[in-house]
Parts: sequence; C-alpha cells; structure tokens
Amino acid sequence: MATDHREAEQPVNTSDSDFQEDVEFVETNCVPGKCNSAVFDTTDELDDLTLNLANGVIQNHRGTITSLIRKRAKRSNTLKDEEADQDLANSIASEEANSIEQSELSSELSEDENVKNGLEDLSLQDTESVPEESPSVTLIPSSSETDYVNSLEWKQQKKHIFILSESGKPIYSRHGSEDKLVTVMGVMQALVSFVQDDKDNLRSIVAGDHTFVFMNRDHLTFVGVTRGRESTQQMLLQLTYMYNQVISVLTHSTLVRTFKQHRNFDLRRPLSGAEKFFDNLLNLMDVEPGLLLTSVRCLPLDSSVRDIVSQTIVQHAKVKDLVFALIIAQNQLVALVRMKRYYLHPMDLHLIINLINASESFKAAESWTPICLPKFDATGFLQAYVSYLDEECQSCLLLLSVDIEAFYTLSECRAKIKERLDRYNALTAIGNSLQRHSYSVQQCSIGDLRHFLYKARSTAQYTSPELGPPYNTPEQQDRLFGLYHFLHDKVHSVSRPLKLLYHVGKYETLLGWVTQGFELYAVFGPLVTKNVAIHAVNKLLRWIKREEDRLFILSSVTF
Amino acid sequence: MASRKKVLLKVIILGDSGVGKTSLMNQYVAKKFSNQYKATIGADFLTKEVMVDDRLVTMQIWDTAGQERFQSLGVAFYRGADGCVLVFDVTMPNTFRSLDSWRDEFLIQASPRDPENFPFVVIGNKVDLENRGVSGRRAQGWCHTKGDIPYFETSAKEAINVEQAFQAVAKNAMAQETDVELCSEFPDPIKLSGDNNKPQGNNCPC
Repeated sequence: MATDHREAEQPVNTSDSDFQEDVEFVETNCVPGKCNSAVFDTTDELDDLTLNLANGVIQNHRGTITSLIRKRAKRSNTLKDEEADQDLANSIASEEANSIEQSELSSELSEDENVKNGLEDLSLQDTESVPEESPSVTLIPSSSETDYVNSLEWKQQKKHIFILSESGKPIYSRHGSEDKLVTVMGVMQALVSFVQDDKDNLRSIVAGDHTFVFMNRDHLTFVGVTRGRESTQQMLLQLTYMYNQVISVLTHSTLVRTFKQHRNFDLRRPLSGAEKFFDNLLNLMDVEPGLLLTSVRCLPLDSSVRDIVSQTIVQHAKVKDLVFALIIAQNQLVALVRMKRYYLHPMDLHLIINLINASESFKAAESWTPICLPKFDATGFLQAYVSYLDEECQSCLLLLSVDIEAFYTLSECRAKIKERLDRYNALTAIGNSLQRHSYSVQQCSIGDLRHFLYKARSTAQYTSPELGPPYNTPEQQDRLFGLYHFLHDKVHSVSRPLKLLYHVGKYETLLGWVTQGFELYAVFGPLVTKNVAIHAVNKLLRWIKREEDRLFILSSVTF
Repeated sequence: MASRKKVLLKVIILGDSGVGKTSLMNQYVAKKFSNQYKATIGADFLTKEVMVDDRLVTMQIWDTAGQERFQSLGVAFYRGADGCVLVFDVTMPNTFRSLDSWRDEFLIQASPRDPENFPFVVIGNKVDLENRGVSGRRAQGWCHTKGDIPYFETSAKEAINVEQAFQAVAKNAMAQETDVELCSEFPDPIKLSGDNNKPQGNNCPC
C-alpha cells in the first residue's frame, strides 16, 4: 500500500514526512459504491481522450497565425527563390516598404532604404511585400460585427464555445448570436485548415491567459475558449459533449450524409430550436460535476424504496422493444431498468437529463420525442416517451423504445406505474429526498472536510454533499469547481498521471486520490496536514460505505 | 425547419496578385478605396448583409492572397463555398489568361457537387484606367465558353458596378441553395441485435 502515495506532491508545506509509516492507507475491501453487476456502460470517455492525446503529438501552437504564415511563406521562398527570400527579409526589416502605390512609389517612401527596397520589389515584378505590422488574418474594422466582437461584454466571458462547419459556416456560439460571428468563425476555419494542410491537426493555442481548444469531428469544428481552470483535456471532454448533443438531435448518419452531399450546408437550419439544449448543456457543465467525472448522481433514497420503484417499472413496463426505462428527479437518477445486454452510458444519460432539464414543455403533457444516444447507437433515433409523475413536476419518467408506434402502449404503462408508485408512497419518498437536498458534509462528521466528490468507477456513479458555507455563493461555488478541475486534471495528467495528490492551496487543502475502484476529490480547510487529510478520507470512505445503499444504485435491474 | 434562419453564403474571391481583390471587397463592404497597396497574406474576411429576393442574406466573403507564396491556407479553405468571384485586371492581359487556372484550381480544391453549374462571377477590374489591355468582348467570350458565367466590368476605385457584381454572386448562389434540404426523410431505425452495444468494460478486476 505504501506505493500508493509515492506520487504525492508536496507543493507548499509538508513537514510530516513520516506519514508513510504510520498511516494505514486504505482498507482494500472498502470501495464504496462498488458493484459486480453492471449498472452502466462504464467506458470512460476521459480515458479515450487520454489515449487519443497520448497517441498523437500534443501541439501547442504558441504565437499568432501571422508568424506561422510568415514562416511558411519564408520556407517556401527558400525552396523556390533565393532572391524573393531576400526581398522578404528586406521587407520585414523595413515597415514602410509596403506603401507602394500601384506601380509608382508613393511619396511616403522618402528614405533611401525604402526606395531601394521598393525598387527591388519592382525589379522582381513583384509589388507585394510582407508588411510587418498587418496581421495575416485581418479583421477589417467598420462592420458592426467587429464592434460586437470587440465589446467588453463579449470579450469578458469566461468561456466561449463555438461550433462551425468545415467550410467555416457558423452553427452555434454560446455567447452572442452566431450570426454576428461570421468573420470570427471564418478565422477559426482558416486556422484549422492552415494546420491541416501540413497533414497535422490543430489541437490548442495558448494566448495569454486564454486557451483555445479545437476538435474536428464529422465535418464539424468545435472550438472552446477558456480562461478558467479547465485543462485542454477537460475542454475536449466538454466539446465531446457538445458533439454528442449535435448527434443526439440529428444522428451521426444524417450528419455525415448531409455534409457528404452538400459541403456548404448550413446546419443551423435543422438545428434551429435546439440552441436551448446546447446552452443548457454548457450551463450544466459549469455546475454539475457528473459531466466532468462521466458519471451519474443518484438521488439518495432508501434501498427499499428504490427497489419498489424499479420493480414497479419492471412489472408494468415490460413491453416489447422498450430498451431503457428511468426516472429522473432534479438531474439525479432515481431508478434505471434496462433491457438485458444493453447498457446506458453516463454520457448518454447526461444528454437525457439535459433534454428534460432544458425543456419546459414536458411539464405540460406526455411527450413522444426522438432522441439519438451516440454511445448507444449513433446511427438512429430512439423514441422517448417523457412524462412527469407528480403535480410538482419533480419525478420524470422516461421510456425509451425503438418502436416508433409505441406511444399509446407506453402511456398505459405510465398510468400503471404512477398508480402503483402512489400506492406505495414512493413518489412522496422521492419528494422528501429532494426536499432534504441530498446531505450536508457535516453528516459525515469529519472535521475540516468542506466538500468532496466520490466516484465509484465500476458503477460510473458519484456522490457529493450539498454545497454549504463557504461555498454558498455562486462565486465561491465557481471557485470550488475550478479547484476540482485543477485536481482532476492533475491526477489524470497525460504526461504524469498521479494516484494521489496532496495540495496546499491559499484557501484550502486538496486531496485527490485515484484507485482502480474509485476517484476521490476532497477539499479541506487550509491548515489540514497530510496525515489528518489521509485519516479523514479513510474515515470518509467508511462513511460512504455505510451509506452506499442509499447513495448508489448497486444492483442492475433488467426487464 | 419552419422558421428559416437567415441564409449564409460563403463567397471566395480569386485572381492574380494586384488585380484588386481586396479593394473590390473593401469597396463593396465598407465603401472605401485606398490607393495604397498591401499584399494580402493568407486571407481577409469580411461579411455583408444583403437582400436577395426579399430574403436577408449574410455574405461571408473570403478574400484570398493572389501571390503564390502567401497561399498557405490549404485546400480546406475553399471547402463548402457557395460562390466564387474570379477577378482580373483589364489593363493586364496576363491576369486575364490566369483565369483558367484559377477556375480549375478552385474546382479541384472545392470539388463542388455540380461543377458545371457552380455559381462563378467574373470581374474585369480597373476600368477607370486608360491603358486597357483586355477587351470586353474577349472576356465575354471566355465567360461564354465556361457555361455563361456572368461578367462585370468594375472599378473598385470609382465604385462602378461593384455592388451589381456581388449581388449577382449572391443571387446565383441562392438559386442553388434553395433545393438543399437535410437528407433525413426518415432516419434509419435502430435494430436491436443484441451485439451492437458492447457490454461494459469492467474497470474493476476484483
């Protein structure tokens, strides 16, 4: 076990070097939330991403595209034409050399040096030269769009997400209308295309405190720009969710077929009306750790109640072609029943949650809506029957079928399910659990522990307490989320993955711990020593173990 | 798809260096002209909103570098263009002769679905200058052999015909645009075979 903390970093203060000896690190049998029968498909998207990154070269193109293009221009010149190269070098040396009025020298060229350069240009029958100052991808001011992009409000957004087609046509922008960003999207496409021309892929650009992350998938380019704490990898994960959302609306087959036939296709048309799903998904990603952890949060519920709910579904929704049946309450999973041999991936479940979360219309009536779940089957639509079970619209029932005609059958199932859940007071139990707001960190009775995320890897589920002081303001919650991003990135670092990280920050001490069975991210007060933190998380694991029946879905229920 | 959004057209301007591509674009979008010559490195982008047959169209105009050594943006740059403006200088016959290769180059790189009917427009620029080297008839003749490409004689300097030329691109591109719809009459239904969904890769060896 001693090897487990070999990797621990000691960034600020770690005086207790003897902790390796005296800390009983972990009871190996204690992996709360572990289960042997599969609840979810648990292939970890982050692992996939890591693999992708590790296989390819991670390219951080620092600098502007101007210098890139100039470098390229120079290089091709060297190959082709020594003289022209000289001309290029001269021109770079002299900023004024570019002021040539058609074939006449402009009056601005007063210096001998400039005249000489100008003449050299002419003698080459080549009146173009490289202006030092003018950027290669010029945004000529004057249009309203430029004003908009330069507005403080737009620039100061913490994170931007753009989707554009491979021809550079705008599809979506999180902030501002994509209509006003036609030029910016063109620039992005030019950047991507420029690097692709070298049989390479543009992955990210770091410019000051902004990171630009690019992802090309199926004729689409996804661009994330952040000055928050998300790493390139984490931004890629967010862009992957966005891609999945596109697929969820269109299916992969339709997307590919459309662009194969019409490269200039304007994808805004079929996506019109879906903007709210993109917006909402991005908002969820800023507050919901489940997307970062590619895992699902279950509504804390007595296992007896949860059993009643899932058994009710099994009995009353045993219908041909019904693949998944689930109940979701306030972004938390209450119960899931699946067809044998079919698994729901957490990333798909997040799309389902997003569907419900972003749309008010499900509250008004029973609905029948197509949804593509990319991890399940990206080529086609499942039909989702969606209906809330209670007056307050808290518990939402979803029945996902491959039968396009099943609406009325499923509507009958819903009536039976609701009737029986009412009879057993299960809906009241769900309501009560929602009212209690999960649990507070004090309930774990571990001093100095402020907050934590615990993910059981085998079940792809996570749990965390509600956000109490000092994380009771949006700013502080945002900061806490940034800390989790930092911690998550460090332990999942591509170049140097860590098993354990103890980090003393300015306002809190962090402990990240990843084993084969779980991931734990814990936030303590600033004065906690490593020893205390280790003891605390061991205690925490025991607490979660005691509560695991309530916090996790441990057994998978099938039709 | 009931509420159709505004239409966006990607238009690419091609032609030899110094024929006035950037000037045409600036004249068209910003109503400005400068005698100062600056080479375009890579590309410039401008957008302009116009009305075509009562529909609001946003034109995303991609001004390219004429000079070979700055044409470094790659083939992807031309992808998905809705229209293409070929520009030559009426005082420089060699820039007119280049049109063939510009057109071919574009068709190869952009590989539009229907190259015969791709919306090109040819512009003979700098008609304000005295020393005319390419006659209108000669240019018209070339356009005719390439499937009746619309031909315009312009002066970016004096704002002659610029508006009309770009309007023609927009109009012709729109004509092609209308018959495009999403290719999903009925998306493929999912068939449950039991093996298209892999069972979970259990991370936990215990």
